[in-house]
Amino acid sequence: MMTCKEVLDTLSSLLDEELRQEVATEIRKHIGNCSDCRAEFDTLTMTIKLYRHNPKPVMPADCHDRLVKVLEIEKIRNRHESNPSGS
Amino acid sequence: MTLMTHRTSGTAAAAAPNDEELVQRAQQDDERAFGELVRRYESKVYSLALRMVRNPEDAEDVLQDTFLRAFRGIKSFRGNSTFSTWIYRIAANSALMRLRKKQLPTVSIEDADERESPISILDWKPGPVEQLLSQETFRAMEEAIESLPPEFRQVFILRDVEELSNAEVAEILDLSVAAVKSRLHRARLKVRNRLAAFFSDSNTKRAMGARS
Repeated sequence: MMTCKEVLDTLSSLLDEELRQEVATEIRKHIGNCSDCRAEFDTLTMTIKLYRHNPKPVMPADCHDRLVKVLEIEKIRNRHESNPSGS
Repeated sequence: MTLMTHRTSGTAAAAAPNDEELVQRAQQDDERAFGELVRRYESKVYSLALRMVRNPEDAEDVLQDTFLRAFRGIKSFRGNSTFSTWIYRIAANSALMRLRKKQLPTVSIEDADERESPISILDWKPGPVEQLLSQETFRAMEEAIESLPPEFRQVFILRDVEELSNAEVAEILDLSVAAVKSRLHRARLKVRNRLAAFFSDSNTKRAMGARS
């Protein structure tokens, strides 16, 4: 019989489906009978769902332009360093 | 590790080189090839950076630092990992350095190791995700990430926000898979506790509003 602490410690692995079948079954059984662990499980599941629904930040277009410029300067510097006389 | 890697598929994309080919060409001073790698990964790097450092100016600095380092280091990239893992690794380290340099008020890993759940946890009644999503929720979610120590924040963002696998995150952060799992679990509990407190608080406010 698993304790609540043992169940809590394995909740992430349960959510990520990384546990052996028999261990997962035992934990799910515990969760079914224990309201505290069920709340832990439900809220942890919901937390992960929320973050996975969170829209990705969009990179501003001018951010791309400035990155290209920074890299251009680096390339020019590189060329100058490898050929300082400019010949 | 093919999840994040750009690959050609079908006849329509047959002309597009994959990352490996672009890396080889970039190593032979083909600047256009490096430019294409930038185009493929800049949004992903920016997204990771913004979520790590939490403000657009610092995120842009991390973006530029990441690709400058990649540009300088591309010739020594040996292909032991994919390009995407390599670029994520540079970005994650750059963001971490920036957080440490700014000494933002973050809690230590030890302080973050709080196992107890908030009393309010039962007040948060999970339902369909869409019902919970609002500007306030997004803000609470961001604040919850911000409360994590940087090393936990990296793992949580790569795993639960960017949705990479444990093995990929382990490779990017140079950690064992066991260490990733351990940090992830602790980070999830801490983030969940923060959100539970937020939902409990908004439930209370709603209930008070209904009574008045």
